[in-house]
Amino acid sequence: MPEIFIWRQMLKIKLTAPSIFGFDFIIFFAVEFLMVIGIFFIYSSGVNSNGVIVTNEFIKQIIWVSTGTFIMLFFAFMDYRRLRGLALPLYLLTILLMVLTVLFGQVVNGARSWLGIGSLGIQPSEISKLTTILFLSSYLNNNRNRISSLWVFMTAFIIILIPMGIVLMQPDLGTAMVFIPVFLITMFIAGGKKRYILFILFTGILTILFSILPYWEMFIASTKINSMIIFTDMRLMKILCTVTAVLIVLSVMGYILARKPYFYIMFYSFTIFGISYIFSFAARMVLKDYQVMRLIVFMDPQVDPKGAGWNIIQSLTAVGSGGAFGKGFLQGTQSHYRYLPEQSTDFIFSIISEEIGFVGNLVIICLFAIIFWRCLNIIIKSRDVFGSLIAAGMVGMIFFHFMINIGMAIGIMPITGIPLLFLSYGGSSLWTTLLGIGILLSIYHRRYKNTN
Amino acid sequence: MSVVHHTKINRSRVYIFAGIMLIIMIIYTYKLFSLQIVDKLIYEKKAKEVSQRSKVIPSQRGRIYDRWFDVPLVMNVDSFAINYTSANADDENVDELISRLSKVMNLSEKDIKKRLPGNRVSSYIPVEISDGVSYETVVKIAENIDSYKGISWTSKPKRFYNYTGSISHVLGYVGNITNEELQILYNQGYTSASVLGKNGIEKQYDHILRGENGRIYNTVDARGRRMSDQGSIQPPENGYDLILTIDRHIQELAEKALGPRKGSVVVLDPATGEIVALVSYPGFNPNLFNTPGPGNFGVLSMDPDFPFLNRAIQSSYAPASTFKVLLTAAALQEEVIDDNYLVNCTGSMELGNRLFYCHKRTGHGNLNLKEALAESCNVFFGTLGVEFLGIDIIAEYAKAFGFGSLSLIDLQGEVPGNIPTPAWKNQTYNSPWTGGDTLNASIGQGFVAVTPLQLANMIAAIINDGDIYKPHILKSVINPTNGSVVETISPEILRTANLDKERYQILREYLRNVVTNGTSNVVILNDQVAIAGKTGTGEVGSKEHWHSWFASYGPWTEDNEGPKYVVITMSEASNDWDWWAPKAADIIYQGIFGHQTYEEVIEYMHKRGVWYARDIHLETDVED
Repeated sequence: MPEIFIWRQMLKIKLTAPSIFGFDFIIFFAVEFLMVIGIFFIYSSGVNSNGVIVTNEFIKQIIWVSTGTFIMLFFAFMDYRRLRGLALPLYLLTILLMVLTVLFGQVVNGARSWLGIGSLGIQPSEISKLTTILFLSSYLNNNRNRISSLWVFMTAFIIILIPMGIVLMQPDLGTAMVFIPVFLITMFIAGGKKRYILFILFTGILTILFSILPYWEMFIASTKINSMIIFTDMRLMKILCTVTAVLIVLSVMGYILARKPYFYIMFYSFTIFGISYIFSFAARMVLKDYQVMRLIVFMDPQVDPKGAGWNIIQSLTAVGSGGAFGKGFLQGTQSHYRYLPEQSTDFIFSIISEEIGFVGNLVIICLFAIIFWRCLNIIIKSRDVFGSLIAAGMVGMIFFHFMINIGMAIGIMPITGIPLLFLSYGGSSLWTTLLGIGILLSIYHRRYKNTN
Repeated sequence: MSVVHHTKINRSRVYIFAGIMLIIMIIYTYKLFSLQIVDKLIYEKKAKEVSQRSKVIPSQRGRIYDRWFDVPLVMNVDSFAINYTSANADDENVDELISRLSKVMNLSEKDIKKRLPGNRVSSYIPVEISDGVSYETVVKIAENIDSYKGISWTSKPKRFYNYTGSISHVLGYVGNITNEELQILYNQGYTSASVLGKNGIEKQYDHILRGENGRIYNTVDARGRRMSDQGSIQPPENGYDLILTIDRHIQELAEKALGPRKGSVVVLDPATGEIVALVSYPGFNPNLFNTPGPGNFGVLSMDPDFPFLNRAIQSSYAPASTFKVLLTAAALQEEVIDDNYLVNCTGSMELGNRLFYCHKRTGHGNLNLKEALAESCNVFFGTLGVEFLGIDIIAEYAKAFGFGSLSLIDLQGEVPGNIPTPAWKNQTYNSPWTGGDTLNASIGQGFVAVTPLQLANMIAAIINDGDIYKPHILKSVINPTNGSVVETISPEILRTANLDKERYQILREYLRNVVTNGTSNVVILNDQVAIAGKTGTGEVGSKEHWHSWFASYGPWTEDNEGPKYVVITMSEASNDWDWWAPKAADIIYQGIFGHQTYEEVIEYMHKRGVWYARDIHLETDVED
């Protein structure tokens, strides 16, 4: 019975003339266009130097793109408001799947992120990005009247920390990192207190900075910097932690007693410092050697040009040698002579840059800009907060992928294996993203209160 | 829809977020612009560099022939370089491979290991283990190629010198380019892998001999694996062959005539300036430079006898009595004395408060100019120099005949010698010129220093009525691919000593008189040719040791017609004194004009009972 009901409703919507015109064709075609470009360059990346295609990745991608488009359209015509009630069960289900993955999944590229039998498999971590956005949006929507409370903020943070923690255990640092911007942007759009958001942002940035600094001193700086000892000496660290703790306690006491704002600012900054300081130690313990090397070569690829720095150097060479109009489709030397690693996934942007050049890159960036613009438009036009927040989470996720992946190809972001959505090869992430876009289309579709 | 507020989100926050995204996208676009438009060329070059590998196809260095253009003096022999490609090798049996290679190539395992790459990822780029490997060794490896996995070889021709005696000074040798040389020659197409001439003709005409290396370009992938079998080829241009003016038979004759004495021989064609033979002893054998033993380059370069010194052009000595020829020329031209002017030689002469001795302590008695030259009387020429000519005129004539300046022979490192003047002495020694200095200069001692080649030029001038041709060793340049003559060196007058013609006729007669009636009549015993010349016995400060010179030409004829040879022989004072220079010249004339080899000359002289040949024992004699 329910299936028939859905179908009937879908048919009803589809046949209503104003609904067709209410469809966001712009984002739809931008996404489709990007995916077609992606297929071409996944094909290109599979061509070896003798002009022979050596993988069938592009065929698989065609299948994923077409099935993904169906999924997108399916969700576009489904009423997204149904998901409000399904958000929690879906969230819990993905968490369960992820736990199963960590325990029993297949290891691909060092991470236990695949669940499935044989070549058929899914990456629950990809799906979790979407279900987390849904649940986060649903939770914030339900609590929109007390959105500025610390309790709601903390709860929302825990909602993303759980899947993020599990992804980290796989371990897949790149995917795990996506949850942070998704949370910050959704929270920001939802109207969360800026100081809480900035607290997380500053702590994150400082933690990264503190983690990198000792390596920078060791490998890049030409002179020894004595103050770096505060990040390496255990005894000093204990002293510094104690001092910071005392300062925090003092400023809290001062605030309670005097109610002066500067005590608050003191407490705020010392806490950020203290947490990032401790986290940076933890990060350096947790980070694997190859991850440390990635950070070092990000700062200076020539430290290890044949090893960890190879990818950055080869990618920069590919991008730079593309020039204004590129070397032409299938003419890239860096890619076809296998100098570029992971061409169809992590470094798809490099091969695109090499073959279609700056002008082609502008097209790609413009297409992404259109998608971002339409997402923001959906945030504003949505008939309810739930829809706005889903759109916020989605745009946060897509933009973060865009920023990290392209940034990595042009050497302004460290190497973290996260794909460029719509372009990179890969089924799970594509389906998830298209599903998300489908939901956005549905939100846009139902932006007017009088439509169903 | 009862909720009144909070149904819409705060727009301003959306705009803030949009602004942040926009800024980041602008930064990215700018970065892409700077990479792809501004720095495009840098990355384009980089991309080309990593994916294109080129391999040098060595050009054949030109061969060098003597004037007969039949047997090359220098040629290239097949030689191989053995390479190792780790990606083709059997990783587990590398040690076994090394020990097998060390046996077949006669190299220590340590040396081979040094050339091999460390425990790196396997590579398709071949590494050279050794060069100069013989064909036989390569055949041995090729027969068992299955047990030499990863080994390959490429042709790497090696310079081989067919004649290695005194001719080595003329030919020179080749070697790998040094950093200093590369800095100078970088713009002329030399690379760090270039082999270039280091000395002699090899150096002088390196630009003609070297040709141009070809290249084969291959595109390779990230592991250095070749992408296609046929790369694009830029064929090498082989170097041109050289024909020298040297006659290898005369060169050998002159070399053997000088024998194992430190010294030099110049045989010159006065009508063209062509060097027929240029001998310097001791010498070297460039084929042995890289082998252990006494012929090794390092050992030779430490030798106190300076075997790398080409004594015919790179050392200058006191010309001793041969310089009296110059004074005679000056006296004749200046007409300061006539035939009837006589000097009574008492065995010594007084100048200032010092006494100078003649080489004949008992004195020569009364002599005119002609007799004085024949007897080489020091008192006569001392008087002539000090009282009639003076140092300025002596220096003027010396310079007119080319002394004190380079003869511009096409070999490097020539020295100009020295013709002293009062100004020069003042500048160099900060002391005034004295009459004793003039006297010393008059008899070719003291500050006067000449090279054997300069002396040859003076004799040539006397034969040519003053014309001195630029001495040269290169005769012509041949394109080896079609045998055509690319360039022929034509005679070129270097300078002319402007004396009246009849003075030269007189000089030639005087020089003939030296041989027939003078100092050298006891040693010039060949029965082939009439020669004219002047001996010289140079004092070097030690008793019982003198430089021995003989500057001569032949055939001497009354009318001075027909082709001639100038022969200068010089034996240094460091040899045991045997007045060898005129004897060597005599042997050379006998050989040249009798068309005999050195051995035939000596045998012939033994038969004729030539006194100085009695002590010469040919190696064949010992064997017989």
